Amino acid sequence: MRVRVPLFAGVLALVAPANAAADDKPTDAEITSDTSAQFYEMRSPTGETVIARRRVTTTLGVAAYDLLDKPEAPGGPTLMFRARMRYDADYGGSTEETNVSSYNRLVPGFQRGPIDLMYGYVEGRRFLKGWLGFKLGRQYVTDALGWWSFDGGQVKLTTPYYFAAELYGGLEQRGGMPLSTPRYERDGVWRGDRTGYDGPMWPSFQPNDVAPAYGAALESAGFTWLHGRLTYRRVYNTGESNVAEFANGLRGNAPYTYDGSRISSERIGYAMDGTLPTLGGVKAGFAYDLYVARMANVFASVDWFVTKRVVASLDYEFYQPTFDADSIWNFFQSMPMNDLGARVAWDPSDRLGLSAGLHGRVYRVQKGTQDVAGTSPNGLADANYYPSSSLDPMGGANMAARYHIGEGSVGARGAADFAGNGDRLGIDVFGDRTLETRYILQGRAGVWQWNDQLRPDRDATSFQYVLGAGYKLFPRSTVLGEWEHDMNRISGQRFRVMLFLTLALASR
Amino acid sequence: MKTILLFLIVTLAALLGTAAADPPKTSVKTLPPGAFEDDHGPSTAIFPPQSLTIRMNHRFHVNEQKLKCGACHKQAIESDSAQDRLTPKPATCDACHGTDHANLDAVKPGDDASGQCAFCHLGYKDGDGNRVAKFDIPRPNMTFSHKKHLVRNIHCEQCHGEVAEYEEATRDNLPRMRGCFGCHQHPDAANRGDAKSACETCHLKGGSTDGGRLRTVFASGKMAPPRWLHNADHGPDFVQRHKFVAANDSQFCANCHKEDFCTDCHDGRVRPRNIHPNDYLNMHAVEGRLATQKCTSCHREQSFCLGCHQRLGVSMSGPPGVREAGRFHPPKSEWSDAPRRPGHHSFEANRNLNACVSCHIERDCVVCHGGAGIGGGFNPHLAGFAGGCSTQFRRNPRPCYVCHEPGASVLARCR
Repeated sequence: MRVRVPLFAGVLALVAPANAAADDKPTDAEITSDTSAQFYEMRSPTGETVIARRRVTTTLGVAAYDLLDKPEAPGGPTLMFRARMRYDADYGGSTEETNVSSYNRLVPGFQRGPIDLMYGYVEGRRFLKGWLGFKLGRQYVTDALGWWSFDGGQVKLTTPYYFAAELYGGLEQRGGMPLSTPRYERDGVWRGDRTGYDGPMWPSFQPNDVAPAYGAALESAGFTWLHGRLTYRRVYNTGESNVAEFANGLRGNAPYTYDGSRISSERIGYAMDGTLPTLGGVKAGFAYDLYVARMANVFASVDWFVTKRVVASLDYEFYQPTFDADSIWNFFQSMPMNDLGARVAWDPSDRLGLSAGLHGRVYRVQKGTQDVAGTSPNGLADANYYPSSSLDPMGGANMAARYHIGEGSVGARGAADFAGNGDRLGIDVFGDRTLETRYILQGRAGVWQWNDQLRPDRDATSFQYVLGAGYKLFPRSTVLGEWEHDMNRISGQRFRVMLFLTLALASR
Repeated sequence: MKTILLFLIVTLAALLGTAAADPPKTSVKTLPPGAFEDDHGPSTAIFPPQSLTIRMNHRFHVNEQKLKCGACHKQAIESDSAQDRLTPKPATCDACHGTDHANLDAVKPGDDASGQCAFCHLGYKDGDGNRVAKFDIPRPNMTFSHKKHLVRNIHCEQCHGEVAEYEEATRDNLPRMRGCFGCHQHPDAANRGDAKSACETCHLKGGSTDGGRLRTVFASGKMAPPRWLHNADHGPDFVQRHKFVAANDSQFCANCHKEDFCTDCHDGRVRPRNIHPNDYLNMHAVEGRLATQKCTSCHREQSFCLGCHQRLGVSMSGPPGVREAGRFHPPKSEWSDAPRRPGHHSFEANRNLNACVSCHIERDCVVCHGGAGIGGGFNPHLAGFAGGCSTQFRRNPRPCYVCHEPGASVLARCR
């Protein structure tokens, strides 16, 4: 369904170039909206606390494409605008949970219906004969350093010499700021909007402030068989931070707060892939945290194209968490994970795909004694020494299968993971089918064994099924309902009802 | 476990069997550049299946009749669009075959055998009159100009292969994307004609109807990257492996996917069941500890996880009014007391600190790990920490002051 949306004329006049308006060029724009309603209950592990979740999440997206005249040649400049807002409410949440005068019930940082701007930017590509690209506004950066979001500008210069250079800067998107979510700031600090809080109230909950940031990247360009991206980013914390975290005055000496511009994170990363079509490929990368001077992540994956339809892979990944530089957790002892996996993928036909793999994990062994002076508080000789062992490794297997049937598919996914602190073993089978191009049917069933080795009383065999039915209103627009039923010893019978409405209106 | 092992053994045996029983059927030498042996032609999403009801011996026409491609495919020379019909019109054949296709409602056959309807029209029987089986070559779902390639001296066989070696030209003789990359490997800024490597050079870029991305869904199939392109084959386990591709070249993903597609999980508000199976809400603690999936890829633990745990009273830092009376962790004798061993909280924290951060705030740790006068004095630092702490202290002393008084003697080692 294609509809004209006159409202766009006004919206787009703000971003469309003058010549476009003069030519009365039809606006190529879209409005999208995704709404979900979820109704379920959550129980604490002991069952003492039960909270009802009545969640409604809705997004509103607007976009306008080809704001310049559409280029005749594929290499011509293009300009577009895209934005998406989100309202994420939990009507099951109590007003007491957000009431700063209700010390007994207040959950700092919790909002019953936050609104955020997920992204909103103008993007230009291939200006100056293909050299210049840019983005202005709230945008994402995704690379070896993970997902990140900021408000600002990015400029990318693509050279004829098979590389591109990128510079960007602005303010990191942070929770507690207007129209923002904390999702993209570094972990490790509990912070948000402290408006209305008395000074000594919840001193651990840190006030948020703007976080200036900049970054740069060098990237290969043009090759289809080889790609690499070297990326660097630095983010600053600003404003006041409480360093005396006990409200009862355990700490009497100044300073109670630390104020000033300081590093939040500084990281460098690289990722590459290269493929030889008849032989195989390799992918590798790393992320290094310059603040704690520690490797955060290293990965390498080698694929061998055994036959036209079979790929065998070996994967390696190293991981140890690092946090915002305001966090004390960067200083805690760490035994990085080293994961090694082998996997085979087989496509017996164009419709059927199968894959299976094995993986194992060992931890780096910590050796050496502490060299920080001090006497152990409890008098034990090694109380300040944290020896480790690579014993107690973790390992398992997984499989996946998928078969396409017309406008639908059936599949299965299973996993088995075993470790000293827990196991999980199970399989899901699922299928979806669109009938007569508009009636949607889908279902899922699974049985999983969860073993909590630290708390064996929480072991459970859990069975689940999900049934869904929907109707495709017009292209990219559907209405869908789902019924979920979980059965296990821990939660008994648990139900979840979900409703989805997806809408997309295009002006052409 | 036995079932899984059995499945793996059977799968491996089947794979080996497939490898041995999959001999090549066609020679890649005569196929278009970039073709693999027995690859069944290019993607049906780009070149939909055809209905070829005309017998046309290209080998005979080219090798024995010495005809050039353009003799029959005249339109190709001036064609500027992939939507142009480039198969010869029926009347093109008349001069040699003695037929008369001027009026398709009353086609006149030729005198000799090569002029009879059944000579070219497959399945034609005497008495069928003008009724012949429908010939259909659907238009490709791509952008292409034969003219632009010809003026750059790129001739038919450079994209279509040795068609003169075949009797029937089929989808097998249509170009392969891998062959296009022989030329289309230049950055946007390169002064190399239009042979750029950007996807929309050849693929259809949708506007608002496709979210500003490439069109990937067609009646004849869905477009997905072949395995030789960034090794990004979207197989059934791609959801577990896509990080290798996205970390390196997210722009490659963005050619077909809007941000919304990614943020549905990476900043999601609805649990994706293909990632978190079963009664995940009640069982996620086990997987959080296993860290088979990195929670932090999609969740900020001090916001997303902590907030929920506080509401439920699971967290030490939750509001007093809902704090649980029960203990979440194993008994103190195992979890906190000496000696340290697997199952002790120090082991769990060392191996997967993220699991701790999802419930605890730093104050919870300072109680015991804070320095003299602030906490219990149990030193959590790495061996050798003091040797490199001065840089961290200089760049951000805030975390140091959480556990140590500014004037504490131990801090002197980091100043």
